[in-house]
Amino acid sequence: MGSRLKGKVAVITGAGRGIGRGIALLMAQEGAAVVVNDLGGEIDGSGRSTSAADAVVGEIKAGGGQAVANYDSVADFAAAENIVQTAVKSFGKIDILVNNAGILRDRMLFNLSEADWDAVIAVHLKGAFNCTRHATRRMREQRTPGRVISMSSTSGLYGNSGQANYGAAKDGIAGLTRVASRDVGKYGITINAIAPAAATRMTATVSQAAREARKQRGVASMGAEARSMLPRPQLDPDDVAPFATYLATDAAANINGQIFVVMGGIISLLNYPAPVRTITAAERWTAEEIAALFPSTLGMDLFNPAPARTE
Amino acid sequence: MLKDRVAVVTGAGRGIGRGVALGLAAQGAKVVVNDFGVNTDGSAPSSGPAFDVVNEITAAGGEAAANTDSVSTWDGGAGIVGTAVKHFGRIDILVTCAGILRDRMIFNMSEEEFDSVLAVHLKGTFNCVRHAAPLMREQRFGRIVTFSSGSGLFGNPGQANYGSAKAAISGLTKVAARDLGKYGVTANSICPVAATRMTLTPEVMRAREIRKQQGIIREERALNQLENLKPEDVAPMVAFLASDYAANINGQFFLCAGPSVSLISLPRPLKTIYKAGRWTLDELDELVPLTLTEGLVNPAPPRA
Repeated sequence: MGSRLKGKVAVITGAGRGIGRGIALLMAQEGAAVVVNDLGGEIDGSGRSTSAADAVVGEIKAGGGQAVANYDSVADFAAAENIVQTAVKSFGKIDILVNNAGILRDRMLFNLSEADWDAVIAVHLKGAFNCTRHATRRMREQRTPGRVISMSSTSGLYGNSGQANYGAAKDGIAGLTRVASRDVGKYGITINAIAPAAATRMTATVSQAAREARKQRGVASMGAEARSMLPRPQLDPDDVAPFATYLATDAAANINGQIFVVMGGIISLLNYPAPVRTITAAERWTAEEIAALFPSTLGMDLFNPAPARTE
Repeated sequence: MLKDRVAVVTGAGRGIGRGVALGLAAQGAKVVVNDFGVNTDGSAPSSGPAFDVVNEITAAGGEAAANTDSVSTWDGGAGIVGTAVKHFGRIDILVTCAGILRDRMIFNMSEEEFDSVLAVHLKGTFNCVRHAAPLMREQRFGRIVTFSSGSGLFGNPGQANYGSAKAAISGLTKVAARDLGKYGVTANSICPVAATRMTLTPEVMRAREIRKQQGIIREERALNQLENLKPEDVAPMVAFLASDYAANINGQFFLCAGPSVSLISLPRPLKTIYKAGRWTLDELDELVPLTLTEGLVNPAPPRA
C-alpha cells in the first residue's frame, strides 16, 4: 500500500464495476477514504441494486482501507449533491471526484429515439456536470486543493459510428473539462479528463456486426485498430487506474484542463483544437471565392471518414 | 450555387442565423426561417424575427417560409423539418444556429441554467438533425452544418453549460458525419466569432464603459476587433459547405471570424508513453513530468 493519497477523500461514480472499480481500489490502496457510488443498474440504465457498490466497499475494507457505499443516480441534480454529501458526512470533506458512471444505447443516428438520446446524455453529461458542480462548490468552500477527473471517450473525440448520443455526451464532457478547469483553477482545483479504452461489460454490448461494419468502411475507431496490434488485445479496465490516480496526487497539481487517452499501457496527451490553416481577405469572401480557393488551401488532404457510396 | 435546394436555418431571425438565411436565399435556395423569437436568455417568445427575415428574402425575390417552433423539443424539431417538406417538398440543407446564453461560474451554476442552455443548443441540434437525417438518407443527399464554438473547444471561463453543449455538438457532428456519410449526406460544423446580441451583451458593454473610464486599452482593442466581425460574414462559408462543391467535405470544423476562415484540427494524440503491461505509480511519477506533461501550462494557476 502506498501513501500518495493519505488523508484524502475520493468520490468515484459508477465504481461498482469496470474502470470505476479499479480506480476506487487503487485510490484506497494509496490511502484515500473512498465513496463508492454505483446505482447498480443494467448497462442501458434500467434497474437498481446495492450489491455492486457494496461488493467494492467490502473489497476495500478487506484490504484495510476506508470506504462507504452510495447508491444515488448521478443524473439527478439533488441526488448528486447527496453523493458529495456522503463524502462530507462520512469523512469530513471531499478532495477528489472521479466522474465515471455511464450507460450505452447505441443506434444509428437516423433511428435513434428521443429516450435513447436523453438517457445517455443525462447519465454521462448531466451526471458529470451535477457531480462537478456540487464537488467544486464544496472544494472551493473548503479552501483545499481539489481534483476532478472525468471519463471522456474517443467515441466523441474522434467520432464513432452508431454512437451519436454517447459521442455527443463524451465530447461534451471534454468541453466541460476545458471550461470548468478555467473556472476553478485559481482555487487550486484541477479538472482533467481521460478517454479510456477497455474491455468492460459496457463495450461488450457493441455488437460484433457493428464492429465489422465499422472496420469494412474504414471507420473503425482508433482504439479498435490500435487494440488489435497490442500484446494484450483484451484491455484490462484496471489499466486505467494508475494514471487516474496519478492525476489525483500532489505530483499532478499543475496539470489542468487536459485530456488523455489511456488504453492498456498506452497513455497519450491529446491536442487542444486549434486553427491549422487560415484564409483571410480584406473583406467578406463570397461563397464562389471560397469554392475556388478551398481545395488548394483549407481543403488540402482533408479526409472524409465516410465517403458517399456510388450505387 | 444552391438553386432549387431547400434549406432550414434555425435561429434565423437575428444575428448569424439571419445572415445565413439571407446568404443561402441569395444563392437560390428556398429557405425555412426558424426563430422562436426569444431573448438571449431564452425568455419571451415572439414570432416577429422569423417573419421579418422571410419578408426580407421575398422582397429580394427569393422564396422563404417562417417557422416559430422551439428547437428544444422533439416535436419542435419535427415541426421545423416538416415546414420545409410542407412548403417546398423536401429538405436538402440544415443549418442549426439557434442558441441562448446563461453564463455563470460552475460552482454557482443552477440546474436550470445548465438545463436550459443544453436544451436549446444540444438537444435542439439533435432534434433537428434527427428529423432531417431519415429524409436526407432516403434522398441520398443532404448537408448538415451545425454551430459549435471556440468556448467548448478552447475553454471559456463561466460557460460550463454553453461550452459543454457546444463541445457535445462537435461530438454529435463527428458521429453524424460517420453515420450518414455513405448516403451522400455531410455534417460539418462552424465555430463563429461575431458581434451579435449574444456576444455584445449589456454586461459586456457596461464593463467596456468602466474600462474606458479607467483608461484600459487592451480590452477595448479586442472589443473593437469583435465589433468588426459581422454576423453576415459567416454565411459564405455555410453556403459553400451546403453546395455541390463540398460533397466530400465531411466531419470537419471551421472557425469563421469576419473575413477569415480557418480549418480547425481534430483531436489527436500529441505525445504518447507506452508500456507492455500496467504502469505503476512509481513509474508514472518519474516519467510523466518528463514526457506527457512536460511544458504544459495551467490555464488558471492557483492564486498564492
